[in-house]
Amino acid sequence: MPDSSGYASFVFADPSGRRWPRLRRIILLVLAVAFVGGVLFVRTLFVTPQLRLPLTLRHLKGQLKSLQKVNPAPPPAPLQIPLWQKFGEARKASKKITGSAPPAFPRKSAAREVHLAFYRNGDPYSYASLEQHAGQITHVCPEWMAVVNGMGDLQIDADARLPKLAAAHGIALMPLLTNLLGDAWQPEAIENLASAGAPRQSKFFDNVLAALRAAKAAGVVIDWQQVDPAYTDKIADLVSNFADALHKDGRELWICVNPGEALDLADSDKVIEKTDRFVALLYDETSEDETPGPLSSRGWFDGWLDVLLSDADPRQWIIGLGSYGYDWTKGQPVADQISFAEAMSRASFAGAPGFSAGAPDYNPTFSYDDGDDEHTVSFLDATTFLNELRSARQKKVGGIAVFRLGTEDSAIWDAMKLPANTRLNASTQERLGILKGTDTIADIGEGEIVSVDESRSDGLRRISVDGAGNFTAAYLHFPQFPTLYHQGGGKPTQVSITFDDGPDPKWTPQVLDLLKAANIKAAFFLVGVNAERYPDLVRRIVAEGHEIGNHTYYHPNLGACWPEHIRLELNATQLLLETITGRTTTLFRPPYAADTSPSGINELLPLEIAQDLNYLVVLENIDPQDWSRPGIDVIVTRVKQQRRDGNIILLHDGGGDRSETVAALPQILDYLNTRGDTVVPLSTLLGTTRDALMPPSLGGAHTMVRLVSGTGFRLLRNVEELLWAFMIVATALTVIRTLVVVWLATRFRRRVDHFAEPVSVLIAAYNEGKVIAETLRSVLASQYGAEIEVIVIDDGSNDNTAAEVEAITRDDKRVRLLRQKNSGKAVALRRGLGAAQHGIITFLDADTHVQPDTLGFLTQPFADVRVGAVSGHAKVGNLRKFLARCQALEYICGFNLDRRAYTRWDCVTVVPGAIGAARKAAIAEAGWLSLDTLAEDTDLTLSLHRKGHRIEYAPAAIAWTEAPETVRALARQRFRWAYGTLQCLWKHRDLTFNWRYRALGWFSLPSVWFFQIILVAITPFVDFLLIASLPFGIWAAVLPFVIIFLATDLFMALLACLLEGEPLLHAWRILPMRLIYRPLLSYVIWKAAFRAFKGVWVSWVKLERTASVPART
Amino acid sequence: MSSLGKNNIAAWAIIAACGFSLYGCRKPVVASSAETNKAMELAVPAKGKYTGAYIDFGDREDDVSVEAIENFENLVGKHQAIIASSSYWGEQTFPTRNLEMISRHGSIPLVFWSPWDRPYLQNRGPDRFSLLEIIKGTWDSYIDRWADAARAFGRPMIVSFANEMNGDWFPWSGAFYGGNKKVEGQPNDWEGPETFKKAYRHVVDRVRARGASNIQWMFHTNNYAEPNETWNYPPAYYPGSSYVDWLGLSIYGQQVGGDDWTPIEPLITWPYDQMAAVDPAKPIMVAEWGVGEFPRAGDKAAFITEGLELLGAHYPRIKAAVYWHERWQNDDLTYSNLRVNSSVEALQAYRAGVADPEWLSKPIWRPVRK
Repeated sequence: MPDSSGYASFVFADPSGRRWPRLRRIILLVLAVAFVGGVLFVRTLFVTPQLRLPLTLRHLKGQLKSLQKVNPAPPPAPLQIPLWQKFGEARKASKKITGSAPPAFPRKSAAREVHLAFYRNGDPYSYASLEQHAGQITHVCPEWMAVVNGMGDLQIDADARLPKLAAAHGIALMPLLTNLLGDAWQPEAIENLASAGAPRQSKFFDNVLAALRAAKAAGVVIDWQQVDPAYTDKIADLVSNFADALHKDGRELWICVNPGEALDLADSDKVIEKTDRFVALLYDETSEDETPGPLSSRGWFDGWLDVLLSDADPRQWIIGLGSYGYDWTKGQPVADQISFAEAMSRASFAGAPGFSAGAPDYNPTFSYDDGDDEHTVSFLDATTFLNELRSARQKKVGGIAVFRLGTEDSAIWDAMKLPANTRLNASTQERLGILKGTDTIADIGEGEIVSVDESRSDGLRRISVDGAGNFTAAYLHFPQFPTLYHQGGGKPTQVSITFDDGPDPKWTPQVLDLLKAANIKAAFFLVGVNAERYPDLVRRIVAEGHEIGNHTYYHPNLGACWPEHIRLELNATQLLLETITGRTTTLFRPPYAADTSPSGINELLPLEIAQDLNYLVVLENIDPQDWSRPGIDVIVTRVKQQRRDGNIILLHDGGGDRSETVAALPQILDYLNTRGDTVVPLSTLLGTTRDALMPPSLGGAHTMVRLVSGTGFRLLRNVEELLWAFMIVATALTVIRTLVVVWLATRFRRRVDHFAEPVSVLIAAYNEGKVIAETLRSVLASQYGAEIEVIVIDDGSNDNTAAEVEAITRDDKRVRLLRQKNSGKAVALRRGLGAAQHGIITFLDADTHVQPDTLGFLTQPFADVRVGAVSGHAKVGNLRKFLARCQALEYICGFNLDRRAYTRWDCVTVVPGAIGAARKAAIAEAGWLSLDTLAEDTDLTLSLHRKGHRIEYAPAAIAWTEAPETVRALARQRFRWAYGTLQCLWKHRDLTFNWRYRALGWFSLPSVWFFQIILVAITPFVDFLLIASLPFGIWAAVLPFVIIFLATDLFMALLACLLEGEPLLHAWRILPMRLIYRPLLSYVIWKAAFRAFKGVWVSWVKLERTASVPART
Repeated sequence: MSSLGKNNIAAWAIIAACGFSLYGCRKPVVASSAETNKAMELAVPAKGKYTGAYIDFGDREDDVSVEAIENFENLVGKHQAIIASSSYWGEQTFPTRNLEMISRHGSIPLVFWSPWDRPYLQNRGPDRFSLLEIIKGTWDSYIDRWADAARAFGRPMIVSFANEMNGDWFPWSGAFYGGNKKVEGQPNDWEGPETFKKAYRHVVDRVRARGASNIQWMFHTNNYAEPNETWNYPPAYYPGSSYVDWLGLSIYGQQVGGDDWTPIEPLITWPYDQMAAVDPAKPIMVAEWGVGEFPRAGDKAAFITEGLELLGAHYPRIKAAVYWHERWQNDDLTYSNLRVNSSVEALQAYRAGVADPEWLSKPIWRPVRK
């Protein structure tokens, strides 16, 4: 007889009631300490470390001053005869001008004036200007291809965004085809090609055509320079054949004509006949490698224009007008090409007194001093543009070209709109006179250590017409643009090596060893997390004389961070480095600064914040992209290629496999050594000392701060490491378990024994009036080979349950009704057990319908005497609501798949009370149904295991149960399950990891512990922390785990559906289910755990019956 | 037995790893050996000849860069034993950086030390660095400074002082210093060559006096004299065995458009015989050679092929050849393209020619014998 004592001693009972208050006190205390510690820690991060930066390094701006050189030194001995006249005469002397009419321009002459714009790859301003002025541009000519050699090979370096942009605005794309490789013209490539045979030439044509087709280009613009005029005839043939090939493909051929280069090509009848357009590049009168001079003076421009257009059809000609500037540094061989904005910035910051551009050159120019060197700036602006535009239009040319997008004086776009014979009225004057301070970033100075000035203001110039009828501009007030000041240019032979993203325990020591052996001092830009993890490496870096810099704490993309976040990153790292090394550092490098110079105003913000915190921002200009592991040789080659134009090398000693970097470093050092370079620390480039950049910290008051921050960082890191470890372990276990379950489940074999002994069916019912009758009818309809007895125990229902049952008992004597006052399901079932007359007991929930064959299948395994209990196959019967359909899937791929698998190893953890069967004798042996847990079914199952009974699963014994249809009801049900499961796990904790119970102790019970309790409880916190850390850029690292988890889920669902013959399409529900289930399950687990600690009994929470399971027969 | 086998495998793995790591940080072995032992000089190879080049180092012939050298070597497919560049007196400097680059690159620098002034235009006659001023001692302090810097540089180098003095284009040509006028009291001596010899000896003496023993001196004439007269032939200019380590020759084919195309053989043979007779003990270097690309006039590829064959095999005393790889624009806007890659065919010819192992790609060092 079952013992019928009450609920006084349930599992987790705490009779004294002290456990919870004690626990609560501890929790409160821990929370309080954590809160105070957290506040202190965060506060330390916002205390901006006092960086002391030498004043001279901070205010480069103050060092610029204007030089009162009204007239720059006149060019050495002006040529007696201007070059264009020489050309003009030479041309007359040759056969050209014979009085015959100029050859007619063969192609359709567009009614519209061509506006060609030159575009520079990789210059964001070029792109922005193209976008902005697309409406005024008919053709765009981007840098695109270069002829590499006489074999017809091409080097293609194109901006992939252009075809789309051009198409969107109806602009014809005319890629440029040069013979320029790096900064060297390759005349031989053209000469050789011209003297090559047809096969090589057609290979060349094919190469170009393929590139043009891929770009959907309208044609090609060729600019071949420094070619020996001795080859003119051959090149004319080449060009003519080239034009034929292009025309056949529906594309045009345009040819650039450089003044100063021989004009024979443009004079060749053959070429004139075949070429669609000539583009005269009428600028660069003084080139960047000459001494300062005008870029396009009036006389020079008009002279060349006359020469070029005499004896030619002007409609075939496009006249290129310059709009850019050069900044010549005295003593340096080559000038910097600068934009109009940069010319204005220089004038503004140097405090130039204002100047005007007038006769004879009409070419604005000024000089300044940057503290070290004298500079001369010459530039072209809207007035030079207007003068030249007028000259060109008077000649009725086919169009104009602007050199180039991105460097132009933005007023030229207004100027272009002016009608051909412009009078200068007040509104025009005003429109062209205002110098807008735009978002264009101007660069001043040499070197990659930068500071920012974001101030912006408009300037003013007065535009007038002088006696000669030319436009002139008087610059009265200069506009200011956001400006990047560069310093650290160093001497030509000086170069610095910097390492980012370390320290790293594997690679940093190797790098340090190499540097030590070569006696070289470098700079290391450290990431906070890594520095915190490997403080000894940080100390070693400093001890060996290298410089350290701040590379943020978590290496986020600062462009996407809030200002507070940026400050936090910087301060945290600074504090940490100070704690470790006893030095502060004024060097900072933003993460992901791979493309050297900031190009958008939003990219300046991080730099500005860093600057406000007194950092020097260190960029780089030799970037071999070693992090992408392109190969050792490629890294070395890239350094070689970029060394001429840069002096700060960027390498990486952390953040991944750096074996290539380590291998390339000695070769790089060798190369620099061969080159005669000295590798110097950044402080040398800046002309200061290491101590000035990394001053020893003040100590004293900072000790406490450092203690707090140090502890904080360590804790943070531990939490983070724990999270990662958890992620990895959880993922691994999930995958392993899934594989095992799947393997076992597919090996499940059904028993087909014959068994027919009398069965007692027990149904405990509490307020089941709506459903009980249907349930009973389904049981009574069973086709079973032996006697059936049905006992309904009415657990004190206050609805019509008893009446419904009694109505049936009248017709069918196999049904008996027992009644008791409400005392819980377990008590009710015990009572039923006592009344049962047969040896096989079947438990059935009052809302669960069976099929006629269910009882037969369910009892079949009892043919084996070792089997003590059999689990039926519960399925969700009410599929009206999505929530219920989800549970259906959960039953399929969670519970039933598991049981299928567990049966193989005899470790089923629960024979569900909804549909299950057991031998009465076995139940007696297990100590009847105990009352001390909410999950009497689990409890009984585990007790049966203790007694050595086999537990099996009968998948064919299907019973249709009713699933909760509201979240609330589901939460209640699951809470009861969770609490009951916790109780059973606790009550039977000695089974877990117990060798006596093999698979139960080592597989199914630990599975319940980990996958149903711990993982479910923790997952939402992991989710939250992961989402919170997304801004720190680790999503890429997390993604694989998420994918593995979801893929595992989906895989299991698919397999379960397959095994149960469910439509495979249902499996997809597993994904949204996760979203609903994870938080819900976690909530009930935590609630159950708290209840357990509190020691509170949970009553039999009743599911709201809706009688929504359709009757099945 | 089996454990021994395992050990063997481990040993092999270690050896292989060492091999890789050595490969990973290979060093220019030649340069470092010259570096470690200062008292070394360029050996005259018993077998084979050095290959070298001047590589378009700009208007002043001194804009040396490792990139240019490496590009050229990639072009011709061979390391250069000799890299030539210039040091013009008008700059008043010593090209330490250039020489260090060349030396570290594993080549020996050949320096044309040319006493002339800006703007370095030919056919202008003597300027402030005239041979007479040099002899007078006007530039002694510069010579001393240059010598000190050379000594400080310390590694082996070859200096060709005042080359092609038997022409009439450079300001140090004998033609500008009395030419064939007889020296008073010495009926066998002509004034031009005698002045040159005096200046040459003056310079070499001063440099040696400053201890720059790392220099080998080259007496370097044009293959044919201009004017082509006996007084202007190399023997007249020869300063003496003790002042010379190498005999140098410039050998150019057609350089500008209007000139005539000449095959290479006669450009070498007679001058070679003549030079060989000047001093039977000295090795001869073709210190400059090259030809322009004029498809209508002649076949540059054939010129190069023949040149490399002849220089490589037919003149036993020639121990080195330095190609003049340059392209320049002339006053009439035409170009002279002496570069090896002026045409695909020329480049193929050069590559194929120097690929012969007879052409030595690295200097051979020997202890200084003085």
